[in-house]
Amino acid sequence: MWTIRNRVALFLLTAMTCLAVVGCNVVRVSLNITLTPEDVAFITPGSTTLTDVVTKLGAPDAIGESETGMVATYRFLDLKYSRVNFGWLAKPWTPVDPDLIFSRTGLGVDAFQVAFDPRGVVVHSSFQRRLAGLPFYPYPF
Amino acid sequence: MKSTGGLSLLLLFVVLIQGCAFSRGTLGDEINSEAIAALHKGETTKDEVIHLLGAPDRLVQLNGRDVFQYYRYDAKAGSLLLIVLNFTRLSIKSDDLFVVLNQNGLVEDVISSKRTAGMKFRFWPFGD
Repeated sequence: MWTIRNRVALFLLTAMTCLAVVGCNVVRVSLNITLTPEDVAFITPGSTTLTDVVTKLGAPDAIGESETGMVATYRFLDLKYSRVNFGWLAKPWTPVDPDLIFSRTGLGVDAFQVAFDPRGVVVHSSFQRRLAGLPFYPYPF
Repeated sequence: MKSTGGLSLLLLFVVLIQGCAFSRGTLGDEINSEAIAALHKGETTKDEVIHLLGAPDRLVQLNGRDVFQYYRYDAKAGSLLLIVLNFTRLSIKSDDLFVVLNQNGLVEDVISSKRTAGMKFRFWPFGD
């Protein structure tokens, strides 16, 4: 049986949940699959070949020339955007349409580069930035 | 009774998909996998590559060799618009093909991958 106390508690919980998420926007944009150090741990300079790399990681996004041979670049992006409009809280009680917006964007751009010698064997490999994925966090200050 | 249940399910489905948005964008034509299979190392010429795949999107010089790059991008966005709480997720992936031509104009290597295969519309922005 639902007592009045339980009903009030449920109403307050629902109201608090609604207020907490009021006017929220959460957006995420990802370009290709984010590579991690674990994904590229199989690469050993001096022994891993271009065929091995392409088999595991797919074709690169760009191929360029270097003094030692070729450089393959894998690019990826993970963008996180969140926004809260606290003006929504006042909407029921005001004739105007107030806005108090906090928003923040975390742009995680990174690339993984692999350099090969003329025989197609890896010379070295590294991430360009090693950006950690930022959490959804709308507070801009 | 059965028709009432079916109607209720239909109404529930209609209510649940309210506030959903699906968007899609592509850049470039799909890279023909049959054309890729027709490229043979040491045999196929530069002219044949162009005949099969068209002009490359990008031409790169690599230690005296030509590299033809072909690419295609596919983007799928799913949005869940719940008036006070909106979720959007946009996924972009690319298909890439590199054809390395030696100094005699013959195919030396073919590097390709199709990342867009199996890409789905996603709504939930959290997690992987």
